[in-house]
Amino acid sequence: MAAMMRALFAISMLLGAPARGASPIEEAQAAELERVRVEVADEIQLAAYDLVDELIVGWSKDPVFDEPTPVVLAGVTVPVGLGTGMAALLENHISSVLRDNPTSQIQLVHCPACTAVVVQSGPEGTVVSRGIDNPDTLARLGGATGQHALFVDIEAEGSWLVLRARLTQLTPDLPIVWSHTLASPGSSPALLRESRNLKSAAEARQEYLDALRDRGPIQIPVRFAVRTYASPFDDQGIPPPPFIWLQSGVELGATEARAWTASLLVGYSFIPQAYQGLMGQARVSRLVTGRVRSHTRPDLYLFLGGAVMTVWGPATAGFQDTVLNADQIIVALDGEGPRTAFGTFQVGADLRVGNRVGLSTFLEVMPSLRNSPNMGTYVRVLGIGYQSLGTEVTFWF
Amino acid sequence: MNLLVLVAQTLFPYAVRTDPAPGLLRSKAESRSLHCEWLSLSEAERRQPGRLTPVRARGDYAEREVMLCEQQLLAAGTRAPGEDAILASLDATVTALANRTDSLGLDDRVWMVEANHPSAQVASKIAFATKNALMGGGLRVTDRSPTLSAGDVDVITRLGPEESYAAACKRYADNGSLRPGDALLAVMVRDRRETALHSGVCTEGNWAWLR
Repeated sequence: MAAMMRALFAISMLLGAPARGASPIEEAQAAELERVRVEVADEIQLAAYDLVDELIVGWSKDPVFDEPTPVVLAGVTVPVGLGTGMAALLENHISSVLRDNPTSQIQLVHCPACTAVVVQSGPEGTVVSRGIDNPDTLARLGGATGQHALFVDIEAEGSWLVLRARLTQLTPDLPIVWSHTLASPGSSPALLRESRNLKSAAEARQEYLDALRDRGPIQIPVRFAVRTYASPFDDQGIPPPPFIWLQSGVELGATEARAWTASLLVGYSFIPQAYQGLMGQARVSRLVTGRVRSHTRPDLYLFLGGAVMTVWGPATAGFQDTVLNADQIIVALDGEGPRTAFGTFQVGADLRVGNRVGLSTFLEVMPSLRNSPNMGTYVRVLGIGYQSLGTEVTFWF
Repeated sequence: MNLLVLVAQTLFPYAVRTDPAPGLLRSKAESRSLHCEWLSLSEAERRQPGRLTPVRARGDYAEREVMLCEQQLLAAGTRAPGEDAILASLDATVTALANRTDSLGLDDRVWMVEANHPSAQVASKIAFATKNALMGGGLRVTDRSPTLSAGDVDVITRLGPEESYAAACKRYADNGSLRPGDALLAVMVRDRRETALHSGVCTEGNWAWLR
């Protein structure tokens, strides 16, 4: 018997003993998990704010109550696993946005007894509950009977963040008078709305599209371009030097989305003692990153175009179709040099930011100079040798 | 040059990473962290405006479907796997449950909801979602809960799931916390290892399993 008592005592001591200290590995794992939770909470917080804003926009547009009604914020719950710090932030956000939007007809009121645990003993028994779950007791405690309680729950369901809200009337029958569920994919960026001028997501998108369209279909580009020319393969000819161009003209969007654009530009090139040039250029560009140009991320266009150039000056002898001899070079240096006119075709890519600034690069082929001994090719695609490589910086006005 | 093109063409499917399956550049863990769903073109266009070519006015030449894969909001391990499995599909589960409840033809009742899960936090989430789904189905729902005395709880918790819910239902009716015009929808996990939710309905002391 005594042995049995000792064994029972030992077992009870084991069960009652404090938890053993966590190993360093477990502590490191717990710390890492906590870091991940904080990171996720930071990312989800803005999306949760967005859903709260959308909820209150809905109340402002279609109020639940006809007149300002006192409502107790009875509970805000956050995704399981993300702790309660986020709940406090959400409560503050809900209060702040509701205060800034009185048209929602919801007036948050303070009711400590509503969320406190109350105990009611009577002939039927003893009931332990929160005040909001027991309106009779709430009334006896002086709580506001007849008010409404707002419950908000936010949960991460797969890749979706879901907000559920309900309004319950604090009468003995506790009827739910209104409920709503909103969901937002986690990948969509938060709208970060101004709380005093709340807009729905649809309205915000319309404003965004209006902002895109406000500049009209025609724009004036100013472009700085540098063209380089490939050295000949046999090193017998002399390639033209790099050419710097200043171009301007008009660019027309085929639609307001500017998925297709066409441009017509004229350009001038001048380096004292070296060369001068004039050009006319036409291009058609196609947006490849979406169907509508964006204000928030860069847009990539691919383009095809053609140009007609005329160049003259001592350094333009390389645009001739013959191997230059010493006499030709001396004559060119002495006077205005040869004047050459030729056509080109271009293909390239243009990366634009906000349709204000762009960086593009292109390959150019000059059919009339395809057999020129003064020029090689940078790359050959589908039998076409591209003799020139260019880079441009463009500003649109 | 040709070899370069050949290598580029071979690597292209891996480089653009449109397929959610694990491969050269995507680990199994990375694939598991994706939440993928098949969508119709119109739904995909609504969800991701501007990213798809819309159906032409005279239709497309080919049948097109979209698989949309998005990163799960919570990384694996952030919460218990069993809870995550229930919560990840909570909306679809409670919507199906509300539809089934709606089809019972008990529209004149006031519905109470009770959720049982080992985690009180998850139980609260299930109950909240179920109430909203029932409200969405046009049913009258209350935040009231049926109550049991301590003696009832002591007896009922000794019974198995099959008997305990029926016994609790009877006691709810007997003690008056479930009135004649009320109906109770109980949602529960019957084993802490399972990730499916079961449900049953209690009206006037009669218990019936829905699922």
